[in-house]
Amino acid sequence: MTTGLVTTTVGSFPKPPYLQKARNQFAAGKLPREELDELEKQATREVIALQEEIGLDILVDGEMARGDMVVYFAEHLEGMEVGGLVRSYGNRYYHKPIVKDVLRWTEPITVDLWRYAQSLTEKPVKGMLTGPYTMVEWSFLEGYDTFRQAVLEMAKAINYEALELDRAGAPFIQIDEPALSTRLEDIELAIEAMAIATEGVNAKTGTHICYGDFVSAYPRFFDMPVKQFDLEMANSSHELVELLKTKGFPEDKEIAWGVVDVHSHVIESVDDVVSEIKRGLDVLPPERLYIDPDCGFKTRTWDESAAKLRVIMEGVHKVRAELGIE
Amino acid sequence: MIATVVGSYPKIPNKPRPARLRNAINKLDRGQITQEELDQVAGEVTIEVLQEHADAGLDLVTDGQIRWDDEQTYLARGLEGVSIGGLIRWFDTNMYYRQPAVEAAVTWREPITVRDYSFAVEHSAKPVKAVLTGPYTLARLSVDHHYHAVDALALAFAEALNQEARALQDAGASLIQFNEPAILRFKDDYTAFAAACGRVTDGLSAETALYLYFGDAEGIYPQILDLPFDLIGLDFVMGPQNEALLKRTPFTKKLGLGIIDARNTRLESPDDIAGKIRTLGDGIDPDRIHVSPSAGLEFLPREVAQEKLRRLASGVRQAEGVPA
Ligand SMILES: [Zn+2]
Repeated sequence: MTTGLVTTTVGSFPKPPYLQKARNQFAAGKLPREELDELEKQATREVIALQEEIGLDILVDGEMARGDMVVYFAEHLEGMEVGGLVRSYGNRYYHKPIVKDVLRWTEPITVDLWRYAQSLTEKPVKGMLTGPYTMVEWSFLEGYDTFRQAVLEMAKAINYEALELDRAGAPFIQIDEPALSTRLEDIELAIEAMAIATEGVNAKTGTHICYGDFVSAYPRFFDMPVKQFDLEMANSSHELVELLKTKGFPEDKEIAWGVVDVHSHVIESVDDVVSEIKRGLDVLPPERLYIDPDCGFKTRTWDESAAKLRVIMEGVHKVRAELGIE
Repeated sequence: MIATVVGSYPKIPNKPRPARLRNAINKLDRGQITQEELDQVAGEVTIEVLQEHADAGLDLVTDGQIRWDDEQTYLARGLEGVSIGGLIRWFDTNMYYRQPAVEAAVTWREPITVRDYSFAVEHSAKPVKAVLTGPYTLARLSVDHHYHAVDALALAFAEALNQEARALQDAGASLIQFNEPAILRFKDDYTAFAAACGRVTDGLSAETALYLYFGDAEGIYPQILDLPFDLIGLDFVMGPQNEALLKRTPFTKKLGLGIIDARNTRLESPDDIAGKIRTLGDGIDPDRIHVSPSAGLEFLPREVAQEKLRRLASGVRQAEGVPA
């Protein structure tokens, strides 16, 4: 393994068409659970193989069993219910979950598939969880009087899952809080909840938050009790980079610098990636600067995802060579 | 007292009822039906929604904005000078809209919502109000490649929507409502907002309403009482501070009480609703109060929305002292 510019991804990969079809059949009651499980494993093998082939350093299982990052956990936590259809945009609808009753974690949710993915590779595989703030913010709320209460209870449930991943040997656990992007005024609650969610976890922890006004939330935002911040830097403001450069970033923490835009079909050039990495190197030394795409690949095709990752890898090799760390 | 809604309503019901509009749009996308056939389905769904509103016991209804893709694009698509861009989150909700991009002078060509309004009137057992997204919100949530200033763009949208409102008025609309959630997030733009409000209501003889939701009016109240609307609707769910504002300075217009949570499935009881109406409407002539959810209901599953409306209507009747 290299000593700098470690490469990874944010978490989700596109589902192969056969798996998408199988999920629809399963939802319609036309496919047994065991067959879907098998196809999820097949897709996981393909996701791991792709990452190995490209040469990434820290892998993910690609979240082949998850439809939506909140709904998936809602289906497995006691006290949550999957509600009726709500439109998200255009003609797209989803079953928005409801925090219906007292929240309780009863059994491991993500551990089996993580363990399976880790068994396929020598490289470390990240455990991926949805953060307590996002779980509640993106659900309806009936079971608790206050939002705060629900978030803190949710944090305890997520902590159980994090501890299970930790015990299973996950070297790195990422707890994503994308809902915070639009509501950075709730940063105090999110910090409190993250402290509960990561309590007693020995693995390295990180969080991914999509775009957001991190400039206004500076420096408090970086007090989130995780080691690594995975941020969408490719589209971030010049202002944030300047701020990090001049006012600094906690010495003991890392940034995973999102260098390509996953929401665009266009494949970036190696030069684009190189200059984005160099922007990162202006802020942090290579040991604390991880390189990845700026969000999950769920909305891209398999080929687009692979192409973007190849460009990242090429850019990273180039800069590592320049730095003499490869 | 009037039991009413703010605008949107869920477009599809849940199983076992069929998701007719969703299926029809899918079929249109696959080329299996024509645009006319889709319009037919949208009309049938609108009739169903009007029926649900009436069955729930509302006094004043909308067409549920069943044909609207979202609160920005339906109007923007009908205007000259505006194209439709990428998906963006609608405030802090989990719903996304396509962002209008202003490429040239915004111009009103022909009525956009008048056919829908007339259709609703024809098929509704209850009086119908016309609802438009306000000029400031349209301007604030658009990308501006032409005016390069939110005040100028808001005025341009106001000019265009004023013509739309006049067309609605000519079609018989006796109450025309403008939804302006954006101003609660960008209160510094109040001067531009007030100018756009003046322009959009210019020369209208129909009653007009302004609905402000997703927050409170602290900082722009009581100034908003000077705006040229007959009724102003406030959100007492996401803007609980509105209650204190009303205590500080008496409300002088017809009051829209948004007191049912349009964004959460937890059901309010008619008793609680009646209690809230009594507290918040204290000192205001009941004839001058419209009670509604806090915002459009499209954030909820259809069945929950309908149940909320039933409870809303029964809470209103209770507050009026009508035996249930
Ligand atoms: Zn993201």
